[in-house]
Amino acid sequence: MMGQEKKPIEEVLDSLDGKKKIAVIGCGGCSTVFHTGGIEEVNEMAEILTKQGKKVTPIGLPFAVFACYKPFSSMFVEKFKKDLKECDAVLMMSCGDGLQTIREILDEELGVEKPIYPATNALGVSGGGPAKFIEKCQACGDCVVGKTAGICPLTECPKGLLNGPCGGTRQDGKCEVDPEKDCAWNLIYNRLKNIGELDKINNFVESHDWSKVTRPRVFEREPLDIHKHLGRTKEVIESLGI
Amino acid sequence: MKANSNLKRVLDSGKFAVTAELGPPASTDSKIINKKAKILKGSIDAFNVTDGQTAVVRMASWATCLIAKQQGLEPIVQMTTRDRNRIALQMDILGVAALGIKNILCLTGDHTSFGNHPKAKGVWDVDSIQLIRIVKKMRDENKFASGDEMDVSPSLYIGASANPFAEPFEFRVPRLAKKVAEGADFIQTQCIFNIQKFTEWMKIVCEKGLHTKVKILAGITPIKSIGAAKYMKNKVPGMDVPDSLIDRLESVPKENVSKEGIKIAVETIQKLQQVEGVAGIHLMAIEWEEIVPEIIKSAGLYPRP
Ligand code: SF4
Ligand code: SF4
Repeated sequence: MMGQEKKPIEEVLDSLDGKKKIAVIGCGGCSTVFHTGGIEEVNEMAEILTKQGKKVTPIGLPFAVFACYKPFSSMFVEKFKKDLKECDAVLMMSCGDGLQTIREILDEELGVEKPIYPATNALGVSGGGPAKFIEKCQACGDCVVGKTAGICPLTECPKGLLNGPCGGTRQDGKCEVDPEKDCAWNLIYNRLKNIGELDKINNFVESHDWSKVTRPRVFEREPLDIHKHLGRTKEVIESLGI
Repeated sequence: MKANSNLKRVLDSGKFAVTAELGPPASTDSKIINKKAKILKGSIDAFNVTDGQTAVVRMASWATCLIAKQQGLEPIVQMTTRDRNRIALQMDILGVAALGIKNILCLTGDHTSFGNHPKAKGVWDVDSIQLIRIVKKMRDENKFASGDEMDVSPSLYIGASANPFAEPFEFRVPRLAKKVAEGADFIQTQCIFNIQKFTEWMKIVCEKGLHTKVKILAGITPIKSIGAAKYMKNKVPGMDVPDSLIDRLESVPKENVSKEGIKIAVETIQKLQQVEGVAGIHLMAIEWEEIVPEIIKSAGLYPRP
């Protein structure tokens, strides 16, 4: 998931200075989980902006409708085509990925080119929940965790060391950078030991191939049959009694 | 191996080697470098210049090395992977070797968050072990990391660090073995205050036969004040300063603390000389370089070969 936080409201209001009609768009994916752009947050934002004398169109996306997935988000966004055409600016309550996907829908599918501003700061791929999330992967394009007991040294270690710990690991096994955090290599060492793969720490790991993160990365995939997959999701949910 | 430094000569001859740290100025003051170099001259076999230690901006290690080298001492350039990617590292390696620097210490570097530019982006395109491999490949195979060839390759004696005190303890010898396997010729360790733990580590090092493959210089830091001891104990990650040492410093009158610190350093050197596999010492007298000649003399390591 994309970890995220709300931008300070002052920064948001600043960016909307002079704009009267605002369309506020949320996200039913990570932004709902992180309380940065779920339907509730979109409505709260609408309220704040209305109090500031702005005319607001709130466009909340329901849970599991990701702003970053065009087939989902465009179905919802296009229903508001008229308001979007008339607005002075769009305020996007999602990560930068969702924001830019929506920008493309507006520009390319709906033909409405508008200023679009972020209400959110994206903080990186992170997993966990329901309350605590930890950044675990930086999408490096060449996963090495098979050598490191399923723990990512590029992300878990602030220096991204691939061949073992630096000289700064604390006496209690915590990281030199953050005394609250375990040293990535202490975790890796112990887990390798537990799973019987300790010999792996003796292997030299080559300098990482960072060419895989030459940006922007573009991928071509077979489009998903959404209706088929939604049907399956329903079946599985029912069969598990969730 | 093509390296032909004075440090290598001393170590190969089986003599107990002495290196010391020369802290670079946070300015363009070359006078202070010359002053420190003059103090160290004659008492050591080679000097290290730190490379942005604790991520604080100071004069570049290579530049400080060259200035001090004019006094007739042999430099060990320190190179961290914190601020440079593999392209910049290799360019600097070519440069330092062409300018006559014959020793290099390959390091990971302290994290940017500790320094005076905490908003800086740390690079760490490669880690210290990968850097060792790069230098070795350049030196012994006349090849860059990419595999491209060069005609005149750098003759560098390759060093690395080791911290026997950081966790996970059991990983520290395998990590040393990795550095040796990738090409480290000599090792300079973290400051040793806990001699017992260091001896324990050295025992495993010798059991694995690593002391026959790499020259290990034991790190020594003379303690100037009780404050400095407590600071190292509590604030510097990866340091092991036993309470007994602080107790000892506290047991002498205040005006004698630094003298006691020197005494402890000399005693430590003498004890370490008896430890199997220790090939020399590396003195890190932080902003206290003037004390190095006295320590070397008191430890019976003067004159230098
Ligand atoms: S190595 Fe780390 S950053 Fe790269 S893909 Fe694997 S988990 Fe993600
Ligand atoms: S202490 Fe461990 S996690 Fe922290 S920077 Fe060093 S190696 Fe990485």
